[in-house]
Parts: sequence; structure tokens; C-alpha cells
Amino acid sequence: MKNLKNLDKMTNEGVDNCSVEERRHFLKMGLTVTGVFAGGTILSAVSSVNKVYASTSGFVEKYPYKPHYSMIMHIENCIDCEKCKSACAETNGVPSYGFRTNILERQVAGALDQQREFIPVLCNHCNLAQCTRVCPTKATYKDPNNGIVMMNIEKCIGCLSCQLGCPYNARYFNEEKWAVDKCTFCWESRLSKGAKTTGCSEACPAGVRIFGDLSNPSDRVYKEVHQMTKTVWVLRPQAGTKPNVFYTRG
Amino acid sequence: MRLILTTILCSSIFLLAGAATTLAEGDYPEDIYYMKPVIGVVFSHQLHVEDNGMDCDSCHDGIFEMEARLAENEESFTMAGLADGEFCGACHDGDTAYDANTRCTTCHVGVIGYSRAHGLVNEEGPAHH
Repeated sequence: MKNLKNLDKMTNEGVDNCSVEERRHFLKMGLTVTGVFAGGTILSAVSSVNKVYASTSGFVEKYPYKPHYSMIMHIENCIDCEKCKSACAETNGVPSYGFRTNILERQVAGALDQQREFIPVLCNHCNLAQCTRVCPTKATYKDPNNGIVMMNIEKCIGCLSCQLGCPYNARYFNEEKWAVDKCTFCWESRLSKGAKTTGCSEACPAGVRIFGDLSNPSDRVYKEVHQMTKTVWVLRPQAGTKPNVFYTRG
Repeated sequence: MRLILTTILCSSIFLLAGAATTLAEGDYPEDIYYMKPVIGVVFSHQLHVEDNGMDCDSCHDGIFEMEARLAENEESFTMAGLADGEFCGACHDGDTAYDANTRCTTCHVGVIGYSRAHGLVNEEGPAHH
């Protein structure tokens, strides 16, 4: 009450001393409220984080593909052993100069103990994929059934427009195929043959890469993306491509 | 051969131990990078001996052989083994030192960390094509 009386005399503290957690809580609160104003349901089990970062509108509870293949990364477990990369290269014939998946490293300034974080990256199989939009020959396209961003190497002319269009650096030029190559969630090598997961996900010894169906409420990926307790995010949300690779900690 | 190596190493350590209770800088190997069961797990003698004041016997008396990376051949040289108190887990149990089950990337520097330490990448990280 004392503070309230002196409100007019108080100076703005700014946000310099505001911890990341506080900002995050504040943002979450704000976004939840915004969701309500925008017609969202306050009793919805879908977290506001998901609404905002992953699928802003249109794809929140109604997914355009069935199955809607997706991956969630538990990045605090990643130790950059790169067994995923080896498995990927072996499964999909990726040459040593190329990659379908990669591991990025980030130094976490100000952390008390662990100051290094590894971030696995791969094609995000975006709902609004920019690579397919800019491809002049439709050599790269969204599979109409499962939403995987595929390559038709017969049509690829090697112009590399897709590389420029992709916000995630998920493509490389394969000199043997003379076409751009990229992650297809192991569609040709595994999923189309009945496998339930990708090569990288199966090879990960630390349970980082969880692969599944985002449209299936009994699937682990669905459950981990649609919850309120842990923050879930996507890389480069500002690109607005509605990616299907999610990240979380813990 | 292994016996000879061990003998030489042991005798040199005994000589050093006679001169001082803890090793001086440079009297122990450079950082060790374990490559199995996963690539790029670093062990720093400098950190453990100089900064934490441990002596040779703290580890080289039944936990680790003198020869570097022999532990890689042991089946229990895994996270599960460490949780059972094997190898690093003898101290990294959450009591003597932080639990091996926490702060993963403090020791797991990965392929990137290994490559950086061995001059295989530039400072900006691994090469992209």
C-alpha cells in the first residue's frame, strides 16, 4: 500500500535487472491474456506458449497432415556426440562434406556452472515452408499427406534458391546426386518402410530427439508440446514458417 | 609392454611425489579426451590437481590406470557405471563432487569441443557447406 501511494513519485526501474525467468513469466501471462481476448479459450489445455511460438493461428489444434510428423528436442541432454549425424549419414548416404542434421554450440553467458549448450538442428518441415515457395521447378515440395518437405532430384536444377529461402540452413548441394539434399525425416530410408522413428532419433543415446505425430493426442510429442509446465519453443519464430521441430529443456 | 610403461610411469610419479606433495604445472598430461562410448568427454589434470589440490593417489589408486583412456575399454565406463560409483562416479556422486548426472556439457564437450582443442575447426565453429 505504501508503494501504491508513492506510485507517482517512483521512477521506472527499466528491464535491465529483470531476470530471464521473470520476463518469460510476464510474457507468458501477457500472451495467455491476449489469447483470451483474441477468442482463445481460457480452459484450453493448449499452452499459450505453443499458441504463440509454435503455431500462432490456424494450426493450433487442427493439424493439416495425418500423421503430422514432428520432433521435440530435449536440448539439455545433448552432448554433441554426433551419433545422430553418423546414423543419418549411414542411413541416408550423406557425404562427408554435407549434412542433413547438425549440432550447433552456444556459450551461455552468466550461467553458474554449465556454460555450454548444444542445439541439434535439422529441417523443420515448416507448415509454411519458404524453400518450396521459392523453388522455381517445384523440385522441393510439401508431401500432401504427412507434411514432410521432400526433394524430387529429377527436377532440381541446382539454383540453390531453396538454400537462400530456408531460415534454418537445412540444405546442402549433393555433388553425387547433382541436386540439393536435405532431411526428409528418413522418409525414403525408414518411415516409408514401416519404421516408426528417424535414424537420428533412434541413435541418440541421451534421449534428445523425440520423434512422433503432433496430431495424435496419445503420442509423446503431442503431449510434450501441449502442456503448461515447461517452456516449448521453436527456432527463429520470427521467420513465420510454422516449423514442426520443437525445443524444450528438462 | 604395458607393464614396462606402467613401471616407468609409476617410478616417475614416485620421484615426483618425493619432491612435492602435489604436482607442479606441466608434470601431468594435457587434457584427455575420451572417445568411447561417446566422443569428446574431457578430463583436465590441471583442474583436478592444480585447482582442486588433488594428488595422484586420489584417482590412480584403483580407479584409473596411469595410462590415459584405458577406461574406455571397460564396460562400466558409461553413465550407468558412473552412477554406480565407477570411475568418475567415485567422486562425482553429488557428495564429494557434483553428481555425474548433472552439468552434462561441463565434461561432454562433444565433437565440436574435441575438434576445437585439436585445431580442426576455426573459432567460428565447424565448417558449413
